[in-house]
Amino acid sequence: MLFLATTLDGLQMGLCFAVLALGVYISCSILDFADLSVDGVFPLGGVCCTIMMLRLGLPALPAVLLCFPLGMLCGAVTGVLHVKFRISNLLSGIIVMTALLSVTLALTQFLTGTGYTTTIFSFRSADLTGLFNGALTSALTDRFGRGAKDYITIVILLVIVFIAKLLLDLFFKTRLGYLLRATGSNEKLVMTLGKNSGSYKIFGLALADGFVAVSGALYAQLYTQYDNTCGSGKVVLALASVIIGTAVFAHFRRMKDTTAVILGAILYSLCLNYLVLIDTNGIYLKLLNAVLFALILIFNEKISAFLSRIRRKKEQMQHG
Amino acid sequence: MVELKNIHKIFHGGTINEFCLFENFSLSVAKGEFVSVVGSNGSGKTTTLNIISGSLPINGGQVLLDGADITKMPEYRRYRRIGRVFQDPAVGTVPNMTILENLSMAENKGKPFNLRLAINRQKNERYCELVRRLGLGLEDKMQVPVGLLSGGQRQALSLLMSTMTPVDLLLLDEHTAALDPRTAEIIMELTDQIVREKKLTTIMVTHNLRYAVEYGTRLLMMDKGAVVLDQSGEEKKNLKTEDILQLFNQISIECGN
Ligand SMILES: Nc1ncnc2c1ncn2[C@@H]1O[C@H](COP(=O)(O)OP(=O)(O)OP(=O)(O)O)[C@@H](O)[C@H]1O
Ligand SMILES: [Mg+2]
Repeated sequence: MLFLATTLDGLQMGLCFAVLALGVYISCSILDFADLSVDGVFPLGGVCCTIMMLRLGLPALPAVLLCFPLGMLCGAVTGVLHVKFRISNLLSGIIVMTALLSVTLALTQFLTGTGYTTTIFSFRSADLTGLFNGALTSALTDRFGRGAKDYITIVILLVIVFIAKLLLDLFFKTRLGYLLRATGSNEKLVMTLGKNSGSYKIFGLALADGFVAVSGALYAQLYTQYDNTCGSGKVVLALASVIIGTAVFAHFRRMKDTTAVILGAILYSLCLNYLVLIDTNGIYLKLLNAVLFALILIFNEKISAFLSRIRRKKEQMQHG
Repeated sequence: MVELKNIHKIFHGGTINEFCLFENFSLSVAKGEFVSVVGSNGSGKTTTLNIISGSLPINGGQVLLDGADITKMPEYRRYRRIGRVFQDPAVGTVPNMTILENLSMAENKGKPFNLRLAINRQKNERYCELVRRLGLGLEDKMQVPVGLLSGGQRQALSLLMSTMTPVDLLLLDEHTAALDPRTAEIIMELTDQIVREKKLTTIMVTHNLRYAVEYGTRLLMMDKGAVVLDQSGEEKKNLKTEDILQLFNQISIECGN
C-alpha cells in the first residue's frame, strides 16, 4: 500500500515538474543558457497563483495561466541583465533569483488571514481547491470512492503536460521557433539574417520562465499549500530531469526531445520518492539524490555501449 | 555603393599590445563591381569586411552605404542589406539544424519571423533543386543536421544561404579555401553565375591568385592595412597571375619573410 501511494505521489510530482523541466529545457538546451533564476520564479508562480485565487477570487485555471506572463516578466529581466548590461548568464540568474526571494516573501503577507499561516514562510489553506479539487473530481470521488482522487489528479496533470508539450513542439516548427533554436547555437548567423539575436535570447528566457512559474502554480495547488522555500533545489531538479531525459531516452531515435524531458522528470521524481521509503528520517535524502543522479548517468553510459554493441552485431549478421 | 572614409582601427588600444592596423584607410566600391581582394595573412582583409558589416568598432572614420552614413548602425541592421560568407565554415550555418531548416531560415531573411510554419512540401522540393546546383550530392542529405557535414559542404551551403534573398552587397571571405580543388572550381563558377544573375556588388577575399585574376571586375592587393595594388577595367583584364605573384613575392621579401 505504502509503495502504491509513493508511486502515485511520485507520478503527480513528476508530471508537475515536467512543466518545470520543459522550461529549463528551453533555457538550458535550446538557448544554452544556465538560468538560475528558476529557484525564485518557481515559488513566485506558487504565491501569485494562491493570491489570485484567494484574494482576487479567480478560478483555478485562469490563475494558473496568468502565472505564465508573470514568469515571462522575470525571464525577461534576466535576459535584459545579460544582453543589455553584459552581466554573465549565471550572475544575471542569481540576481533575479535573490530579488525574487524578497518579492515572494512580501507577497506572502497578502495571504495572512485567508488561511492557516504557520510561519511567514509558508501557508496552508483548504480553500486552495483548484484544478485538482473541482466539481468533476468530487463527482468522481463520490462515485468511485476517495481512492480515485489520486488517479484523477494524474489524468488532469497528464492533460496539462500534454497540451504544454504539443504547443511547444508546434512552436519550434514555426519561423520564430527556428530563429530561437538558431540563437542558441549560432548567434552570428541570426545577425546575418538581419535580426538582433539579443532580443530573441530575452524572448526565449521569458518563455522558459513562463513554464517555470506555471509549474510553481501547479505545485501549490497539488499540495493545497504554498511554501516560500519550495523553490530551493529546483534548478538542480530540472537540470537533472532534462539531462536524464535526453540521455536515457536518446536511445529511442524517433522520440522528440520534449517527450524525453517529460519522461526524465517523471523518472527522476519517482526515484526520489522511492528514496524516501529507504531513508525515512530524511537526513541522507540529498546525499542519496546526488548518488542516484550519478548512478543513472553512469548506468546510462553502460546501456548505450551495450546497445551500440548489439546494433553492430546485427549489422554484421546482415552482411554475413 | 560602399565607401570607407579615413578609417582608423587600433586593436588592444591602451595596452602594451596596442597595434594600429588601419590609419587613414579609404576604399570605395561602385555599384555592380565585383572586387577580388588578395594579400598576405594578417594584411587586414577580414578586418575590412568586419568594418563594413559593423562586426568591429572603429576608432575613427566613416562607413557609407549608398551614400548614407552607417557608421553607428548596429551590425544586425546592416546585414539586412548585406550577405556574407565567413572565413570560418562553422559560422555560416546552424549546426544542430538540418539543411532544410537552415535554408528555410535563410529564405525568410527580410520577412517577419512569426508563428507561421517554417517548412512545407513545396519549399522542400524547391530547396532540393537549389542544393542540386552545388553538385555536392547534398540533395540526399536534406534532413541531416548541418553539423555533420564537412567544412567545405557547409561553406557551399553558406554561399547559397547568403544569396537566397535579394541583398545589395555580398561579402565573401575565402569562401573556397575549405574546398577541394574540383569543388572549389565548381563553387567559384557558381559564385560568378549568382553574382551576374543577381547583379550583386561583391567583395571577395581569396588566396587563390588565379581566381582573383580570372573572376571579378576589379582587383585589390592589400598589405599591412593598406591597398598596394588597385586595378580595374582593361588593366585588370590584361592582368596575368604571374604578374600578381611577382608583386606578391616582392612585398613579402621586403617584409623579410
Ligand atoms: N579581434 C581582433 N583582436 C585583435 N587583433 C585582431 C583582431 N582581428 C584581427 N586582428 C589583427 O589584425 C590583423 C589583420 O587581421 P585580418 O583577420 O584582417 O587578416 P586577414 O588579411 O584576413 O588574414 P588571413 O589571410 O589570414 O585571413 C592581424 O594582425 C590580426 O592579428
Ligand atoms: Mg581573413
